[in-house]
Amino acid sequence: MTMLQGTNVVVIADKLADFGGSMLARLGADVVLFSAADDMTRGRAAAWHQGMRESADDTPTLLGWADILLDDRRSAPENPERDALAAQHDRLIHVVVTGWPEGQPQRPVTDLTLMAASGLMTVTGEPDKPPLRLPGEQAYALTGIQAATAALMGLRARRTTGKGQRITLSALQSAALANYREAVMYDWTGRIGTRRGNMLVRGKSGVRQVWPCADGHVTWSMIDNPGMMRAVVRAMEADGGAGELAQVDWDAILVADTDQDVIERWQDLIAAFFARHTRADLGRMSLEAGWGLSPITKLAEVPDSPQMQARGMFHKDAEGRRLPGPLFAVHQPGAVAS
Amino acid sequence: MGALDGLKIADFSWVGAGPRSTKDLADNGATVVKIESARRLDLGRKSPPFAKGESRNPDASAFFAQTNTSKQSVTINLSDPRGVDVARKLVGWADVVVENFGPGFMERIGLSYPELQAIKPDIILASVSVAGKTGPLGGFRGYGNSAAAYSGSADVTGWPGSDPHMPPYAYGDVVAPMMLTVAILSALEQRDRTGQGCHVDVSQIEAMVHVASDLFADPPAEKPANSDPQMAPHGVYRCAGDDQWIAIACEDDGQWQALCAVLDVAPQHGWETAEGRRAAGAAIDAAISEATEMADKTELEAALVAAGVAAGGVLDGRELSAHPALNAAQHFVTIDHPVLGPSKMPAPPYHLSLTPWAVGPAPCLGADNDAVFGRLIGQDDMRRLADEEVLA
Repeated sequence: MTMLQGTNVVVIADKLADFGGSMLARLGADVVLFSAADDMTRGRAAAWHQGMRESADDTPTLLGWADILLDDRRSAPENPERDALAAQHDRLIHVVVTGWPEGQPQRPVTDLTLMAASGLMTVTGEPDKPPLRLPGEQAYALTGIQAATAALMGLRARRTTGKGQRITLSALQSAALANYREAVMYDWTGRIGTRRGNMLVRGKSGVRQVWPCADGHVTWSMIDNPGMMRAVVRAMEADGGAGELAQVDWDAILVADTDQDVIERWQDLIAAFFARHTRADLGRMSLEAGWGLSPITKLAEVPDSPQMQARGMFHKDAEGRRLPGPLFAVHQPGAVAS
Repeated sequence: MGALDGLKIADFSWVGAGPRSTKDLADNGATVVKIESARRLDLGRKSPPFAKGESRNPDASAFFAQTNTSKQSVTINLSDPRGVDVARKLVGWADVVVENFGPGFMERIGLSYPELQAIKPDIILASVSVAGKTGPLGGFRGYGNSAAAYSGSADVTGWPGSDPHMPPYAYGDVVAPMMLTVAILSALEQRDRTGQGCHVDVSQIEAMVHVASDLFADPPAEKPANSDPQMAPHGVYRCAGDDQWIAIACEDDGQWQALCAVLDVAPQHGWETAEGRRAAGAAIDAAISEATEMADKTELEAALVAAGVAAGGVLDGRELSAHPALNAAQHFVTIDHPVLGPSKMPAPPYHLSLTPWAVGPAPCLGADNDAVFGRLIGQDDMRRLADEEVLA
C-alpha cells in the first residue's frame, strides 16, 4: 500500500508501539525502528516489526526527518530529555505511549496484567478454572492500533493547523476500551459477568456456541431468528433427524424464554445432525441457506484457506514464517469489488 | 477544535462494527451523520441494557448510546427510491461514506462504489464486513463469532487439550472497527495528497488474524492459555474471596526475586533462570498459588507493583467502571443524554494536546432531520417527504 507515502516515522518500541509502527509501514510510510525490547522471540519480532527498517542515524537527526515519533515508554515512563528534544520540532507528532495513563502513578505492565485489568479475562474460560486471556498478545496489539490511530489523528490535524503536537496514549485504556459490555452492563443492571464456558446465556436459558462435527468443530447458536431456525430444521428433516424440532412454531416461541431442559433436548437433536457432517459440508449448507454457522478453522489451516489466498493475506518472510500482510483491501477508483 | 474538524461522514453503518469506528471520528470532531430508519431500526437501539427497562424506546439503549457518541441522526427509508435520492445528496456532501450492510445491499439500492464516485469523484467508501467484499466468502453473512471461527482465534482459545472456545463477546466487532478507523484516516491522507478517493474494505476475519500475527509467525504446539514462551512465572492465581484472581508476570530474574520476597516463596535450585522456571512451571505455580490464595487481591497487587513486579487483579465490570486510574484519565466521561440522563460513556484512549477530543451524547432517532434535511433539500421538500414517510 502507498496510502502514507511520503510520511516519515520513527519508532522507539517497547512492545506497546511495535504493531503501530508496523501498521504505518504497511500503509506506505517510511518507518525507522530506532530501538526495541531485546527479549522478544524471533517470531514475535518478525510479526510485530514487519515493514520497519533500521537506521544508523542518531535521535536528533531522525527527529529532524520524522513527521511522527511513536515513543513507547512501557518500561521507562519518564523521559524529559526526549520530550525536550521532540518539542524542538513544531511539526512533529509525538505519540507517547505508557502502561498506565500519563499523570497516574506508573507501574510495570505486561500483556497479561493489562488483559487482567481490561475486564475481558474474568468472562473468558471455564467457570471452574482461572480466568483466561485471548491467545496472542492482545493488549499490546490493541495499544499498537491505537498508537497508529493517534498518529494519524495528529497527521490529519496538522493539515489544518500546520502544527504537530504531543499525544499521550495508555495501554490500560486501550485494553479497557476493547471491553464494550461488562462496565456498561454493571452500570445499568448491576449484573457482573462470569465465565460460562462455551455457553451463551441470554434471558432464562443458555445455548451452546461450539459443536463437534465429523471432522472438527463448528460455531452456531440457537437464537431468536425464526427464518434461520426453519432453514436449519429443513436441512435436518432432509437428513431424516429433525425429531420434535419439525413441530416447533419458531414464530411463536422465544429461545431466550424457553426452559433449559427443552433447549437441551433440542440441542441434542442438532448435535446429532452436525456430527454426521463435515465442517466443509456444514459451511456450504450454511452459506447457501443462511444458517449463520461457521466452520472453526484450525490455526494452521488459516494461511492456506481459500479466503486468505484469494485476498492475498499471507506471505512468507526470509525465514519461512507465515505473516499476514495487507491490513485491509483497497479498491482504487474505477474498480469494483466483486 | 478537534483533530478531525471539518471532516464530513455519511454513516450508513449499524450495530457495532461500523458505528464503533465512526464514534472514533465523531469524538474527534468529524461531523458524522448517521443514516437510520424507524422502519428498520439499528439493532444497536434494540440491544440491552436499557434505561428504566424501556426496551421498546429506540433512544433508551445504553449499548447504542456508548457506541454512537457525538453523532447526528437522520431517518431515511432506503427502500423508497426517493429516500435513496436524499441519501445521494448526503453522499455529495460527505468526504467519506461508511457502511457495513450485508452483501450486495449498497449495490441493490444504487449506492455502489462506482455510483458514489459518479456523485462525488473523490469520495472514500469505507466498508467493514465479516470476510471482506471479495473472495469465496465475499457473500458471507455472519455474526461476531464467525470472525473468531475463520481466523483461527477460536481454535487456539481455551486450555490445552480443550475444545475451541468462544468468549461471550464478539472480539471481531472490537478490532475490525479500529482497523476501519485507521483505513479511513489513511485513505484521507492519500486523497489529500493525490486528489483520489478509494474504497477501503475491512474484513473482521483479517483484523483478528492481524492481532494474532505472533501466533502465525510462531505457531504454538498447543493452546498457550495464560502461559508465555519466555516469561515464567506467567499466570493467574486465586486470591481470597469469591472468584478473585491476580495476574502475575515476571519479565526478568530480578522481578522473580522480588516476587519471592513479597510472597515469601522459597526458590528452589534451578529456579534462578526463566528457562529453569519454565521447566518447573507446575511446581512454581503451586507455590505461588499457596501464597496468594489467602491474600486480598488489591493489597497483593499493590505490594507486588511496589516491588517492581508486573501484577494486576483480574477485574470485573464493577471494578472496571470504578477504576480510579481510568476515571482520573477520563476514560469514562459523564454525558447528559435526553433519555438516559447523565451517563458514563467511553472516550478515546489518547489525549491530543492541541486538538482534544470532545465526547457528546448519542443522538435520539432522527433528532437531526430538520437541521440536516433543511440544509440539503430545503424545508418544503423535507416536509413533503416526511409526510410521505420517505424520511422515516
